[in-house]
Amino acid sequence: MLRQPFLLYNTYVENTSSEEGAVKKLYNKILPYMLLLPMLILMIALVYYPIAVTFSYSLKKMKLTRPNDVEFIGLKNYIEILKSEDFLYSLQNTLFLLIFVVILTTVFGFALALILNREHKLSGLFLAIAILPWAMPPIVNGIIWKFIFFPGYGFINKLFIALGLTEKPIDWLSDRSLLLMVVSVVTAWRSAPFCGIVCLAGLKTIPKELYEAAAIDGSGTFSSFRHITLPLSLPFIGIGMTSASVTAVNIFDEIVSLSGFSDTGKNLLIQNYLTTFSFLDFGRGSALTYIIMILTSGIGVLYLRSLNKEVSYQ
Amino acid sequence: MKNDKKRNKTRKKGPDILYSAASLIFLVLTLGPFIWAFIISVTPEYEMFTNTLNMLPKEFTLGNYEELLNMESQYSLRFSEGMINSLKAVALTLLIGQPVAVLTAYALSSMKFKGRAFIRYGLLITMVIPVFATIIPLFRIFSEHRLLDKSFWLSLVYVSSFLPMNTWLMSNYFASIPKELSEAARVDGCGYMGCFFKVILPISYPIIAASALIMFLSSWGQYQIPLILASSAATKPVSIVTSEFMTKDTIFYGVTAAGGLLAVIPPALMALLFRKYLITGMTQGSVKA
Repeated sequence: MLRQPFLLYNTYVENTSSEEGAVKKLYNKILPYMLLLPMLILMIALVYYPIAVTFSYSLKKMKLTRPNDVEFIGLKNYIEILKSEDFLYSLQNTLFLLIFVVILTTVFGFALALILNREHKLSGLFLAIAILPWAMPPIVNGIIWKFIFFPGYGFINKLFIALGLTEKPIDWLSDRSLLLMVVSVVTAWRSAPFCGIVCLAGLKTIPKELYEAAAIDGSGTFSSFRHITLPLSLPFIGIGMTSASVTAVNIFDEIVSLSGFSDTGKNLLIQNYLTTFSFLDFGRGSALTYIIMILTSGIGVLYLRSLNKEVSYQ
Repeated sequence: MKNDKKRNKTRKKGPDILYSAASLIFLVLTLGPFIWAFIISVTPEYEMFTNTLNMLPKEFTLGNYEELLNMESQYSLRFSEGMINSLKAVALTLLIGQPVAVLTAYALSSMKFKGRAFIRYGLLITMVIPVFATIIPLFRIFSEHRLLDKSFWLSLVYVSSFLPMNTWLMSNYFASIPKELSEAARVDGCGYMGCFFKVILPISYPIIAASALIMFLSSWGQYQIPLILASSAATKPVSIVTSEFMTKDTIFYGVTAAGGLLAVIPPALMALLFRKYLITGMTQGSVKA
């Protein structure tokens, strides 16, 4: 990426005496690894090694309640999970959440970026307000929205009754699809600001001259939006979308605060938590983790690609 | 120029109404939940969720805030301990995480060496790996070595999960710094590290502030990791304490709402203070050098 400085640096090295140059060269060679060392130690100890251990757990019969009864059982954990009702149910919930959270986050996020991109007296205040939901701890987010969708006389029910949309309070948090809709909205509300900021950063990189040229050509606001704004912010929308899908797959806190660990709203992650830390079945929990990893690896590839796309912009 | 502006103004009248409407919707949707939570937090318990269509309670009370802040009740003890635990974990995470991220980002963005692409991918891919892939063995390792319920070790786990994001942000920014700057420093006889400390670091404060903010928000919001690794009273963060008001105890919604709002204050404050760096930092990181 930055080839130029190296060339220059090498000429500088050549000018010094050869022995000193050799030392410098060696130093140059190991310097990057020295800089990366703290990161590598941390990541190996706390991420890469544990991931490998999880895989070895997943092939074992391993319950913390029976510490002496550990044996290698191959893929049995995986097969049992794939056959279980719980898995299918929570997979459906995860997919539902994935689709709705990604759509809502991207639409809200991009709209947010468009609103924030216009400069006016209040734009500083707007930005301040826009990032507030991002500051919200997800568990608190769920709690605060629970007051809004409260099954009895919560805000939405009061509003709906007052508007005559319903006569009796709606039980938002017990019905499966209603609950998942609520979880999607609540999660999108928290994740839209990040998507919005990324898109805003993208909008700011579009040269103003393009709009001026388009205006001179007689192009209206909507047509410049379609032909300039939208296509040029696509890579950024891509980053926002993929980061939203990572968020969506990893929803946990909002479901816990909106419906507890009840069966209705559980997604793969909740199912994984219950298997591992409630039933203390580490073998099966680990296998489920690997299944989740395999299922989401597609998103992972997309994510990496979108992140790199932006870098190759340089 | 002047003429241009005039023309723009007349042309933009239609969208202006649209813009105002969109802004209004944005304000209502964003601030609404905070306002509603505030209303709940000042509503007396007996009026809560009663069979009425009134949006505002007949009487207001600050009792829930008193309960949380008077330092004598059981609630306030647990709540303040949770706040302190959260602050401690966030401070440790930033102190350890930021320097590591800066060094990593500099090496990955500005140096050429064997395995660079591999290390970069290896780091970035961990962003999409589910927490459970690491937390299950970590729980066992931590419990065997008595590392559970220790803020320091909890923070190390936070760092390992936020490092990829912060490194990515910073390395984009470093890569966008004009090469002439570091070249000039090199000609003056600056080594890589000298150049880094004297040239790169001082002009990178927007992205360092932005990624510090992101790290602050992410660690403050953690629930799942501390639930598993640090759930004792001495280490559990305010997010867990607040959620317990709702689940473990006889439910007091007013206190829960008040606690939730108070728990948002530190991250919201940080976000407000550092917001401009968020835009400058992330914008420059995505512009061509």
